[in-house]
Amino acid sequence: MTPFIVRGFQMSLAGRLSLPRAGRLALLAIVAASAAACAPAKRVSRIDPNAVTDLSGKWNDADSRLVANALIEQSLTGAWQKRFTASHGGKNPTVMIGSFRNKSMELIPIQTFTRDLERAFINSAQVSVVASKEEREEIRAERADQQNNAAADTRARQAMEAGANYMLQGDVQSIEDSEGREKIIYYQIDATLIDLESGQKVWVGQHRIKKYIERRRLGME
Amino acid sequence: MRTATRFLVLVPAVALLTGCVANRVREAPILVNGERVKNTDSLVAAVGARGDVDRARLEARRDSLNQVAMSTCNGAVCAALARGEVVLGMNTAQVMVATKTTPEAWSLRAAGPATIMTPRTLARAPRDGTGELAMVQLQNGGVSTYAYRERQGLRVVAVAEDTTTAARNRVLGDRLEREGDDFLSAGDRAQALDRFDRALLLKPSDPGLEYKVAALLDLQLRPVEALMRYQRFLQQLELERIDARGEANAKLTEAVVRAQQRIIVLRRETEGAAPEPPAEDIRD
Repeated sequence: MTPFIVRGFQMSLAGRLSLPRAGRLALLAIVAASAAACAPAKRVSRIDPNAVTDLSGKWNDADSRLVANALIEQSLTGAWQKRFTASHGGKNPTVMIGSFRNKSMELIPIQTFTRDLERAFINSAQVSVVASKEEREEIRAERADQQNNAAADTRARQAMEAGANYMLQGDVQSIEDSEGREKIIYYQIDATLIDLESGQKVWVGQHRIKKYIERRRLGME
Repeated sequence: MRTATRFLVLVPAVALLTGCVANRVREAPILVNGERVKNTDSLVAAVGARGDVDRARLEARRDSLNQVAMSTCNGAVCAALARGEVVLGMNTAQVMVATKTTPEAWSLRAAGPATIMTPRTLARAPRDGTGELAMVQLQNGGVSTYAYRERQGLRVVAVAEDTTTAARNRVLGDRLEREGDDFLSAGDRAQALDRFDRALLLKPSDPGLEYKVAALLDLQLRPVEALMRYQRFLQQLELERIDARGEANAKLTEAVVRAQQRIIVLRRETEGAAPEPPAEDIRD
């Protein structure tokens, strides 16, 4: 029986399809591609927020948490708070979160770790925290509004804010060094508590992170 | 190839290879993907618990001090305790209650009937309703002298009158005037004028101070203001009815004459004549 020849593959008169090796491979590729197209384009899964997940090597959530942990530990176990409490008959020091500057070349969200620190201060019940400058603006506007519009017995009183004893200030700085496929990023985070009256620095906290990033010859970045 | 030749080829090859290899960092990682960042909640809770114990201890001490202070106070001292102010005659417990402190905040030194209380740390010295205390001295168990740390230095309270606002203003005014004199002797007229102006707010009826301000304004070629100050100086003298007799006035006689002369000159200047600078000596 003479086979009916179509370009690329042969079909016998009985209808049996017999593919050459190249044709089979092409067909397999098409099938695989269509299967991949039918699969979902992205995969999302919830993972432990405490898990270290380094992808690009840039500043990430793990770094923020490491900084927060270090500053919480250093500040709450420091002597400044005990000294204040002892010399004030058991009164807690009051802290205000001031400016925390990002002096690195990366975009680093500062509030992720300053909020953690604030939360630790409040939860420990050893340090009182007052609203920051920006937060106070909104509160004051609302309080002023209450003076005109709220019932007398429910009005928040004016000029009764608690004054802070200390202000927390700090900065993040980074140093980069790279050669070929290797790169080192060093971050230094410094935090300082300053006495609002005397300007004295009563506590200085520091955390340093050094990252080594190596790019492979083959593989995606 | 003989062994020696092979060795000679191998050595440069190895050296070349070593030279091509980059300076690799060989440090063991301390935290890698998949590991967990530790949670500090337990640490915060532990610090909180420890702090609560300390605070309870301090509160117990404050309670016992309150008890002692209130059981030993009389009318004026009780009122001062309620206001949170240190007054003469208080005992150590009452001083601590007035300043809301415990013995941890003070360093006590006793020598015979005298006891001196000084803050354990000046960075956060105890304070009462008036200000920050630098020292409290007790004689026979009662406060005889105490001092506040203020901007211009220490202000000592040794008699009841020292606690009044007028007395405080007088002391602070004197200090500012002294500072002004120092600046003047150092040739800094702007700072001297600033101190004299501030002192004048605290001692508004001090003709000597008024004269110093007038003379300084005159030296700075500010005739209109100087004229007003000279006039006020003379007016104050009149108000105080200080005539050409007595020791106080003898001191001011020269100043009165000079002020009158300058008023005439400055009036002429403000009416359009060329300015005539005063003499440098501004002492009253």
